[in-house]
Amino acid sequence: MAQRYLSRRRFLTSAAVAGVSLLLASCGQKSATPTTGAGGVSQASPTTKVGGAVTPTTVSSKARYGGTITFVLENDVIDFDPMRSRAFVDRNVHYQIYDSLVRVDPKGNIIPWLAERWEIAPDGKSVTFFLRQGVKFHDGTAFDANVVKWNLDRYRNTPDSARRGELASVDSVDVVDTYTVRVNLKAPFSPLLAQLVDRAGMMVSPKAVQEAGADFTRKAFKAGTGPFILTEAVKDDHITLERNPDWWGKDEAGNPLPYLDKIIIKPITNSDVRLANLRTGEAQVANNIAGKDVATVKADSTLTYQEIPGLSFASLIPNRKEGFVFHEGNYVKAVAMALDRQEIHDKVFFGVGAVGYGAIAPPHFAYDPAFAPFPKPDIDGAKRLVAEVGKGQLQFEFLVPSGDPQTLQLAQLIQAQLAKADIKAEIVQLEFAQILQLQDQKSFKGMTLVGWSGRIDPDGNTYDHIHTGAPFNDSSYSNKQVDQYLEQQRTITDQAQRRDLFRKAEQIYVVDDPARVWYHFGAAMLVTSKKVQGLQPYPDQIIRFQYAWLQK
Amino acid sequence: MLQYTIRRLLLMVPVALLVTIISFVLLRLTPGDPVLVYAGEEHDPATLAALRHSLGLDRPLPVQYVFWLERAVQGDFGRSIRTQQPVLEAIVERLPATIELGTAALIISIVVAFVIGIIAALKRNSVFDLLSTGIAIAGVSLPNFFLGIALILFIAVFLRWLPPGGYTPLWQDPLDNLRHLILPAITLATASLAVNLRQIRSSLIEVLSQDYIRTAQAKGLPQRLVVLRHALKNAMIPVITVIGLQVGSIIEGAIITESIFFWPGVGRLAVDSIAGRDYPVVQAIVLMSALSYMVSTLLVDVLYAWFDPRISYGGGAS
Repeated sequence: MAQRYLSRRRFLTSAAVAGVSLLLASCGQKSATPTTGAGGVSQASPTTKVGGAVTPTTVSSKARYGGTITFVLENDVIDFDPMRSRAFVDRNVHYQIYDSLVRVDPKGNIIPWLAERWEIAPDGKSVTFFLRQGVKFHDGTAFDANVVKWNLDRYRNTPDSARRGELASVDSVDVVDTYTVRVNLKAPFSPLLAQLVDRAGMMVSPKAVQEAGADFTRKAFKAGTGPFILTEAVKDDHITLERNPDWWGKDEAGNPLPYLDKIIIKPITNSDVRLANLRTGEAQVANNIAGKDVATVKADSTLTYQEIPGLSFASLIPNRKEGFVFHEGNYVKAVAMALDRQEIHDKVFFGVGAVGYGAIAPPHFAYDPAFAPFPKPDIDGAKRLVAEVGKGQLQFEFLVPSGDPQTLQLAQLIQAQLAKADIKAEIVQLEFAQILQLQDQKSFKGMTLVGWSGRIDPDGNTYDHIHTGAPFNDSSYSNKQVDQYLEQQRTITDQAQRRDLFRKAEQIYVVDDPARVWYHFGAAMLVTSKKVQGLQPYPDQIIRFQYAWLQK
Repeated sequence: MLQYTIRRLLLMVPVALLVTIISFVLLRLTPGDPVLVYAGEEHDPATLAALRHSLGLDRPLPVQYVFWLERAVQGDFGRSIRTQQPVLEAIVERLPATIELGTAALIISIVVAFVIGIIAALKRNSVFDLLSTGIAIAGVSLPNFFLGIALILFIAVFLRWLPPGGYTPLWQDPLDNLRHLILPAITLATASLAVNLRQIRSSLIEVLSQDYIRTAQAKGLPQRLVVLRHALKNAMIPVITVIGLQVGSIIEGAIITESIFFWPGVGRLAVDSIAGRDYPVVQAIVLMSALSYMVSTLLVDVLYAWFDPRISYGGGAS
């Protein structure tokens, strides 16, 4: 054949040249720096006045108005409607656009918010809220007692409302006068205020809900009273929040909050990509990075890392129903004794968070730092317990959700630790949805891994997980004394007494007759660019952007 | 021809129906409850029951299917269980990204296969040919996900030439969009590229050994014209068939590729929806993929007949 390939060769070379030049051209850097506004304002710490505790919440410095911050979130928001919301990540946005009746300070104490003060009836069966006056929703609707009743009834009575469980103690809501609302309870329930801090107490504009109909949960624009207004929400791309110029909150010097003009929220599920965004300056705030990256962030001179103990816990749930291996309480205790929690804390969580033995986390008022029933792995003790049961080696099925290498690592470490005490944990990887179903049906054979994001009141970390027949009690645990203590603490408002009851219950459901094996508490992290001031982590991990301002 | 096309189109209907039934049954047989997944940290049995009822998941299966079908034929594919977004809207939102990726992959797999295949056929048994055969075998044997991750590791992490994943819409920043498109498109294109390459090469070799080619060369026609005007066109027939089949495998491969590269397309939506047991979304996507596949094979068959006038379908005309 003749060898005249000139045209083809030329084609190939020109294609190669074009390709290379395209690559070179596209490798330009793209940087975005936060814009800063002009004007400084002397500011100490923003507080909310009147009624309950007045708590300064930020460091003192000269705060400036203006600017845009980009916040990278670990997942896209699913529901903007607090009534439907089931995901933790949604709350990061809810707190900026909605106000609740009450909120918490960085220590976890309940502070006034839309309710300026409240009175609990002597019999504990009703709470009267005195509302802040002159508050308007982003769409102009006025905030008053009727709106509160509308919202609370909506949360309680709508069939598939996600807030029904939280407000199950509420019997009815009465409008006393324009700015006074009374919540009547079926029985005294001291965690009520804690429930009203979060979504169950968030006030939404009735007009906005009615206008948007079924699409409200994805298009909740101008529906709150909060420091920021939701103006844009593009799925899996970004969410835009703009300053509410009429927000009622003020800093300590009396200047109106918030300082920022705009917040852009970008959902990025990959933690490496989130970190990369922070390091290049494309994003300035994040509240969730991988434990392995903490050292990198601390060493980065452009970033500030803050961490405080969080409310979440990690646990191993055994199936304690009759007919299953862990019906035998001593077996659960043996596992609890054999675990090396410190090693898990160091290797799996990279030292972020804290070793945990029970459900009550460090920020809770009922937490006892001296409560450490299994400080070191007690291999001999575990072996002795298993021998006492007398049925030979302890073998069980360990269900692990597939698809996450870190979870598998954790499972393998636990497996190795238990093997030292001659306990055989057989790892079975199943899809997350499958495991959920097995848990729900209480038909899983051995143990599974369950975490809980945590609630402000210790009741939220305990009752529903440990009380007989409670919704999260997937281990089918039942102990009458524990039930009694947990039921009692709900009827008392005195913190010292409640704490005492919690402590007594914890001794039983962690040590004497274990409900689960707890091993870790999470941390509330906050990573900010050094330009971002005014932010500090809260135990619930949610960022309060109304206090944030940008340095030049 | 027209008759044939119409018959094929009509045949798509029972096939599509069968596809929906199979996907419906398979989904429901898979262990895992969408209500539990959706409910997240909400376990109140009364709420779960209310949720199940509002989603229509407490009705008998055949009833659920008929209900779904009734609405589907009218274009209403329901709402996603996880996000409450209308399913059609969710899919259409992500379609441009998948089409962009699929088209880029298809173009790469066709163009590169043609260029290399033609040269390999012409330079048969040369070093180039052997290399191209090696690449083809590697391309077919390497799993999609392995290639993708390997590319990310070398090109994005070590060399830092391109981003490790993600997406920028085309209208927002075309250059950035292209930067993000390169690796996933290459990953997706590779397997079909290899298949197309082999087919082009072998078809061309076979045609080039024909007598009429020798005649054309003897006439003094430049090799370029021999190949382009005579040989290629005749070699196209089996090639078109193969390419048509590759469209189907690109639709398939997009699912994995999109997941690896965080490409916000329909493939990733499918993966997330399956993991979350989001029945309406999965059913709609499966139906859509089946229909696309059927349409592309029909197009290929029509093109086939156009390329080779000797081929005709159906009774009647010659």
